[in-house]
Amino acid sequence: MRKVINLKPNFNKTNLNIKIRKISDPWTNIGTILGQTTINDYSFYLKKFKAKKGDIVAAEAKLPTGEGKVIDVIVWGRIMEIISTNDFLPNEASKELSEGNINIQDTILPLTKNDAVCSVKNLGYTKNIFGKKLSLIPLNYPVAPGGAVKYPASKDLESLLNSDMNGKNPIFIGNLVARKDVDVHVSADNMVSRHVLVIGMTGSGKSVWVRRAVRELMQKQYPILIIDPHGDNLGIVQKAKKLFPDHKIKLFYPKISAPKNNKEVIFTLIEKLGNKLTEPQYEFLNWLLTNIEYESGTSLIHYIATLVQRSNAAAENRRNKTGKGLNGASNTGATTMGVVSRSLRKVQRKLQEMEQSNISNRNKFPHLKFEELPDPYSQPEKIIQKSQVSILYLKGYESLPSSTIVSILLDTLFNHRSVGGKIIPPFFTVLEEAQNFIPSRSEGQEGYPSVSTIKKIATEGRKFGAGLMLVSQRPYRLDETVCAQMNSYIILRLKNERDQRFVKNTMENWDNEEAKQLPNFANGQGIVSGQITNIPLTVQIKFDDDLTNEDIGDENFISDVQNWKESSTSKKKKEFSKNFDKVFEADQRR
Amino acid sequence: MQKIANKIKNNSTLFSNFVENLVRNPSHEVQKNFMDITSKIAETIRRICNDEGLIFDVSYEGKNYWLKGKNYEACFVDGGVYSSFASSSAPFAIRAKSYIVKPNKSLLERERFEESIAYMGDLYDSKNSIYELNEDPYEDNQLLHKKKDAARIIFEIAAIVKHVFEKRQFDYCFLHGPLQTPVMPFSGPEFPLFKKNVVKNILPFFKFNQSSENERHFINVYLNALTYLSKAKFPIYGIVERTGSTIYLRNLLYRAVKKGTIAENDYDKMISTIKRYKINDGNLLELILSDCQALKPLEVEKQIPSKAWGEWEVQMNSFPKIFIGYLRTNENQSPIRIESLQCPNKIQEDYEYILATSKLLPNYGYPVGLDVVDKAAKIPAWLGRAAKGYYSKFYLDLAIESADKKTISSALKMLQGGRVWRNRPKAGKVAR
Repeated sequence: MRKVINLKPNFNKTNLNIKIRKISDPWTNIGTILGQTTINDYSFYLKKFKAKKGDIVAAEAKLPTGEGKVIDVIVWGRIMEIISTNDFLPNEASKELSEGNINIQDTILPLTKNDAVCSVKNLGYTKNIFGKKLSLIPLNYPVAPGGAVKYPASKDLESLLNSDMNGKNPIFIGNLVARKDVDVHVSADNMVSRHVLVIGMTGSGKSVWVRRAVRELMQKQYPILIIDPHGDNLGIVQKAKKLFPDHKIKLFYPKISAPKNNKEVIFTLIEKLGNKLTEPQYEFLNWLLTNIEYESGTSLIHYIATLVQRSNAAAENRRNKTGKGLNGASNTGATTMGVVSRSLRKVQRKLQEMEQSNISNRNKFPHLKFEELPDPYSQPEKIIQKSQVSILYLKGYESLPSSTIVSILLDTLFNHRSVGGKIIPPFFTVLEEAQNFIPSRSEGQEGYPSVSTIKKIATEGRKFGAGLMLVSQRPYRLDETVCAQMNSYIILRLKNERDQRFVKNTMENWDNEEAKQLPNFANGQGIVSGQITNIPLTVQIKFDDDLTNEDIGDENFISDVQNWKESSTSKKKKEFSKNFDKVFEADQRR
Repeated sequence: MQKIANKIKNNSTLFSNFVENLVRNPSHEVQKNFMDITSKIAETIRRICNDEGLIFDVSYEGKNYWLKGKNYEACFVDGGVYSSFASSSAPFAIRAKSYIVKPNKSLLERERFEESIAYMGDLYDSKNSIYELNEDPYEDNQLLHKKKDAARIIFEIAAIVKHVFEKRQFDYCFLHGPLQTPVMPFSGPEFPLFKKNVVKNILPFFKFNQSSENERHFINVYLNALTYLSKAKFPIYGIVERTGSTIYLRNLLYRAVKKGTIAENDYDKMISTIKRYKINDGNLLELILSDCQALKPLEVEKQIPSKAWGEWEVQMNSFPKIFIGYLRTNENQSPIRIESLQCPNKIQEDYEYILATSKLLPNYGYPVGLDVVDKAAKIPAWLGRAAKGYYSKFYLDLAIESADKKTISSALKMLQGGRVWRNRPKAGKVAR
């Protein structure tokens, strides 16, 4: 006789912070374990309509202990696939049904003999669902074929999923996709210290997740820095002031500046944004950078303007053969200096254009107050402090200047944490469009200063309270080393095969069956995996509609065109153009 | 390739004969002659059928038919058998299943699979067998095979008897196979009686006459069952999809002789030609009937008294006559044989139903309900293997318990069964 495991809770023994409600629903018997089982998986015959893909189920099992005993346990697993077959329905019947447009229900063909077999991936076992130690323990002995598979009551399942969250500051993120009545929490402690990678295609719900995580961390007064290249998080500024009146929500625009002794960054920026230079031209550029002092916190555009001025002056002196102020550059010709000046002017112009573009974008939100990003060197506390969310709005800036800005900012803040200690509190950085800041080697990451900075934070951030959340819609374009440092994952809908391959290669214990569901997720549905959760879960993330951005909705170009009115300038331009055409047509000398 | 070349080289006589035969194609004339004869016989039979007004068209309207057909409740019956015969044991399992379907009912009520009757045991076991133990005069397993066949035939019929006895009100009932089988092979003196409780199960309506043990003989049980079925309130058809029989041809010709439209001499010659050329109903009627065409049923006798043993000869005449018709359900398959115990009252309507259900199996071409019940009744291979393994292990355990090497060796040999090729002497290589 098989011993029946008592699945009822012993409330006297529970010692959890999470409230456990009384079990009202019994565990339903939904099937029988089939044939061959392993410690990783098993399959079972499913009673009709009693479970669905993604459901977490439980099987009774016996396990050997190290002391030679055999104990009764509950093995938890997730239904990865359900195969339904009707062995009594001949395939060839479909030919007649299709060609004759016959409704199968009108015929004598059997419709009810569907057998459903589920594949289950084992998640681990618990000794008793309501004991003190509820952590899932890796299975070391397979479940026995012939055993019963049960459908746990929602409340019990919720208790299991959240059982290991004691002291880890659980935060609510949503519900299981397969069971909407089961709330899912993740560990805030692990999220802010051990880094999270959030990936999903456009419209998959990345912003839904970010809003959720930010909101929960705000409630815990945790300092948050959001690097926002497109302004996806402006809604937080609009709405959070009302929802979190005690919080500071700061909206910054970048000021391109560099640390005093970090001319390397400036050199890279000029090198990448300017014209290609020859060896002597580089030497002269170096000479300029060495000889012209840069004051930390001053505008880089201003500094480049000084470089141009000095370069022009040097060229003039060279042409006049005075040699004044050319110590160390006495062999450089005036032409070389002229080329460097041109290149510097190009960089200056580009940066000015980007700055202007950023201003134009900011002007679209007149009701929002944008502030210039304070100098992270001297005023880091204005960026990072308790109960403050700082959003750096980068729209208008190309990826390299953005990368430079982010690199300088994060590097400086991290140094304050790692060296300074108590200047700023631990903080959490959300990096939107992460592929722009940590491009993979194949994307040509050379010269992207943010790569090494983020790599450093990803590797050492845990020690110093600098957590990262990387958000990207193109995971295969991300730097592999940085991604490998991410300890938790939010995988939303992904249709691109290269992206799916990336996920498979990057994540430990990733299952092919899990990959199959990636293209089918709805908005806000995804797999939450890694150290922030007890077990990988397929979750419907809660949609915080009260934090959405009302200014940036879906594009409505059709309506824009319908309401389009030609400007008077444009009308005149067309008129003159016609006149010119008449002139050109009459011209017989062409 | 080299190996094959060597084989041919070493076996040159076989190879040259084979090639010579292929090139000359000696069967060409024979085949041409067969085709010639078959088409001529077909033409003659067609004329006779036309003369008798036996060929008729059966309409099939696909979707429109099923708007009407969905209102019919039909029952499809088939049996499944597992057997494994060895000297030590004869495990045997049999069951008859019914697939009952009425499409216009709700999804949960539209179809049912019923196991009407089932048995599992050992045919050598006096306690756990459906037969009384009897002496087996045969050296091989002939009697066991006969017992198995008789059980299958009677179990399938018993499933329908049960439906009639329970006053089920089907619109149609179909059996997978002939509705009446020749019983002469079971008339031998060695064939055992069914046990009393088995007969009670098969013929629930039957009242035993204590004085006559022969009532429990297969032939009598079968006769009683068929007689009972011939009074059923719903049409019962047996469907045979592959036929090697000439029963329709022979009866058709005989009928014509009786009517005087064929000379007796011609009849005899025709019958012997049909025998010589191994022509049967299936392959000949395939040449005569087109898709959706049928032959009206002829009343025939299946039991041949002269072939039965002794006292059973008279009993053969008691069997009800049977009606046999043919229906061609598609262009690729031979017509299917349709048997009934009563002359169909609504032949057009009934054949339309059979045709429509057969159209749902467009390649195989017989009522799909029978395919469904065939799969349901079949005793799965894994169950058979498990049973065989269990019986073998049990026997081997007994042999091992005896601790006698010869007994164990004998048991092993018996369980291996058949020839053991691996012990044959090897040729071709010299051992070094």
